[in-house]
Amino acid sequence: MLVVTPTLALIVFGAGAVAGTLGALLGIGGGVFLVPFLHLVLGFPFSIAAPISLATVIATSSSVTARSADNQSINFRLAMVLEVATVGGGLLGGLTAGWFSQSVLQRLFGAMAAVVAFVMVGRLNRRNVIRDPSAALGVLDGRFHEAESGGIVSYRVKRLPVALAASFLAGNLSTLLGVGGGVIKVPVLNAWCGVPIRAAAATSAFMIGITATAGAIFYYARGQLMPGLAAAAILGVQLGSWGGLRFSEVASVKWLKLLMAGVLIVVAVSMFMRGAD
Amino acid sequence: MSGATVLRAGVIASSICLLIGLLWEFAAPGPIPARLLDLGIVVLLLTPTARLVVSFVEFLAERDWLFVGFAGIVLVELAAAVAVAFR
Repeated sequence: MLVVTPTLALIVFGAGAVAGTLGALLGIGGGVFLVPFLHLVLGFPFSIAAPISLATVIATSSSVTARSADNQSINFRLAMVLEVATVGGGLLGGLTAGWFSQSVLQRLFGAMAAVVAFVMVGRLNRRNVIRDPSAALGVLDGRFHEAESGGIVSYRVKRLPVALAASFLAGNLSTLLGVGGGVIKVPVLNAWCGVPIRAAAATSAFMIGITATAGAIFYYARGQLMPGLAAAAILGVQLGSWGGLRFSEVASVKWLKLLMAGVLIVVAVSMFMRGAD
Repeated sequence: MSGATVLRAGVIASSICLLIGLLWEFAAPGPIPARLLDLGIVVLLLTPTARLVVSFVEFLAERDWLFVGFAGIVLVELAAAVAVAFR
């Protein structure tokens, strides 16, 4: 039995804070960091680590989306379309779990993360923003204010099928791996689909909460969501996301992309290590 | 933006329950702090869905039927996931 001591709660609180910071900066839920930390470092069984992580993703998503006073960067329509695919993928996650072992899925996820990391770094200096604020935009395209670019910028979403496929995959693996999918969606949207990193991060932050809901409820229904530790992580997220949002205001686009690529590489390596056991 | 309000309300309400519940549970474990923790978690788990409903209503108000449809599909998909979970 896992004994929840104040010390353990404090450690998990700290882990939640890290997740919250990354979430505020990159629009990811922190699950890809939290699950290996809880499972490999603290030794929690995976079925305990995953729901805590999914609850953390919901907390990160809700806090970051609520606190982004400048909601202009969230592309609600794009999010809605992609979530159809993501939650749809989530419904079929049970099938995938039946076909593939978890270690295979982890390695698949790790491989995806590695590929996307390299593509992101390759495109480090290419910007997706269109500086002409009067440019003609379609239904899914977006417009927001970016201080770094000096004003209102727009962008056009390209290769929607790629985004949909990535979303489906992210949703499919979400419950199985205890992640929100932001770690795949943000780089795909930025590197392949023409979405500027801040808009991709903000939109992803909104999406992951919806994605993680299905998984969190699944584990909760089975009594596998440990309330005390989940509470500690969720409270940590509040602290972390507050700090992260401060940073994200001053961080440069290039720095954000490098951070995203760095996180992806760590994710890829840790997934391969986990997949190997 | 009522969307942000819903999220803020969910986060604040759940955080208060979780903070009080967690500290209470350490100080004097019992059914009441356990209930508080559970309540905090349930409120948090329902927050993104509440935000999704707000989006649904906003698209409805804008008469953007295509996106009313998309939001509706996501809500149905979530309902299906919940139904499967509690089967």
